[in-house]
Amino acid sequence: MIHFYHVTKRFDQYSTALHDVTFHIEKGEFVFLTGASGAGKSTMLKLILRQMQPTDGQVVVNGRNLKAMKRSQLPFFRREIGMVFQDFKLIERMTVFENLSFILTVLGVPPREHKKRAYSALRAVSLHHKLNAYPLQLSGGEQQRIAIARALINDPLVIVADEPTGNLDPDLTQEIIQIFAEANLRGSTVLIATHDRELIEQSGRRVITLDHGRITDEKVAVPQRAPRAESIFGIGG
Amino acid sequence: MPSRDDALPKTTLSYFFREAIRRMWVSKRTSFVAVAMIAISLFIVGAFLLVAENLGRAVAQAGGKSRVNIYLDVDATPQQIAAVDAWLAAHHDFAGRRFVSKEVALARFRQYFANLSDVVGQLDENPFPASFECEIAPAVAQSPAFANVSSELRSIAGVDEVQYDWEWVEKLKKLINLVNIAGLAAGGLLAIAAAFTIANVIRLTMLLYREEIDIMRLVGATERMIRGPFLIEGVLQGFIGAAVSIALLLTAFLSGRHFLAPRNSLLWGFLFNGFLPWRKLLALIAGGMLAGFLGSWLSVRESGEERA
Repeated sequence: MIHFYHVTKRFDQYSTALHDVTFHIEKGEFVFLTGASGAGKSTMLKLILRQMQPTDGQVVVNGRNLKAMKRSQLPFFRREIGMVFQDFKLIERMTVFENLSFILTVLGVPPREHKKRAYSALRAVSLHHKLNAYPLQLSGGEQQRIAIARALINDPLVIVADEPTGNLDPDLTQEIIQIFAEANLRGSTVLIATHDRELIEQSGRRVITLDHGRITDEKVAVPQRAPRAESIFGIGG
Repeated sequence: MPSRDDALPKTTLSYFFREAIRRMWVSKRTSFVAVAMIAISLFIVGAFLLVAENLGRAVAQAGGKSRVNIYLDVDATPQQIAAVDAWLAAHHDFAGRRFVSKEVALARFRQYFANLSDVVGQLDENPFPASFECEIAPAVAQSPAFANVSSELRSIAGVDEVQYDWEWVEKLKKLINLVNIAGLAAGGLLAIAAAFTIANVIRLTMLLYREEIDIMRLVGATERMIRGPFLIEGVLQGFIGAAVSIALLLTAFLSGRHFLAPRNSLLWGFLFNGFLPWRKLLALIAGGMLAGFLGSWLSVRESGEERA
């Protein structure tokens, strides 16, 4: 589903975010991407969403070579990806409902279905009572959950999340990861960038580790504390 | 998965309008400037059109018949007047003749040029000559044979001048063309300025929504979805500007007719004869919307180029 072939991303001669990175994520996988700040995680996610183009190499997502993709096809490609941004990217002047409704408008969903679908997406992140609130009236954690609801509202083929639990307490982290796991069960391929070591170690999922723009490790995490891992990933495979 | 149908659904159009109206409301001041520019431009175009329209009506009223005015000498004797009358009676082309005495001519002047009547009152004697007004079929009046008849008329004692109104009709037609061209030129220039004002207003709005536009692109909105509300905003500004200009024009017209026309002067009578026909009003509205569209199109096109 997501394939990187010898991808290098260089911003200038002194700054190279990714060096000859090759990896493959198959359809239906749930993968963690980890590494210290500045390791190249966000750059990788931006390449997947084609927010930027690689300097060298190829990125293929859902069978599309992103380098060869026409600009006119880009919006339709992005609709297949549910992206959770690190800075949430919620539209501040819109209410929570309007933020979700806007996505549904973009997708061509009839307005009469907007309320039902928005409510259902918000219920999944336990924020259905915040339908009419504005993003700035919410805490960082709540905004993050709204961003997650927005990313999942369309059951996307691929879910890409940049530090989706960065602002959440352990209980909410568990809840959110469970939501991603459910989406994964429904068929979405999930890639989560995080540096929450504990979360990764308990996941039992494949982990790609980046360091200074290079993949330094690729393994399946072995849960250290089974009870919590089961509680988080109990429904996953 | 989402539909890839590129046609604009009704919901998208309603989104365009809702967003455009909301953005105009949020940026009330800049929107006001754009609307005012359009309104001023189209008011000027409309004013020229209105003058030309009413002059055109005057021409049309005169167009069905040709009038010949035979002015007599100021000191023409009753015998000379009778001789002219007899000559006219003998020529059946002049069958529809009417005698206008010096007194009637003076009274008409006082009626048409009310503000100059005092000047005439200060004169010792009536300066206006008596005349015969004859209505002649246009085909006859403009035939070569008629030229001989009129030169014979000029040679009769007591006849001072023979004037044909189709001469001033022709002059008026030229004037109408001139007014139309001047109106279109002045209005066109102002409309271009208005379009650029709208372009700048839309550019400002796009800057204001830059972050939001980026988010829209990231979640899969097409360029049409992003640009649509801005284009509609420009068109709406143009439409409102045109509507305001028509309202101002109608107010000016009705005020003019109310305050100036009762003075019954010839000029005001001509100018306030009637308002613009609906076709020209529609053209003004279409012009406003076009200027708005061009302005916003210019801005969204630039934003696309920047992105590329």
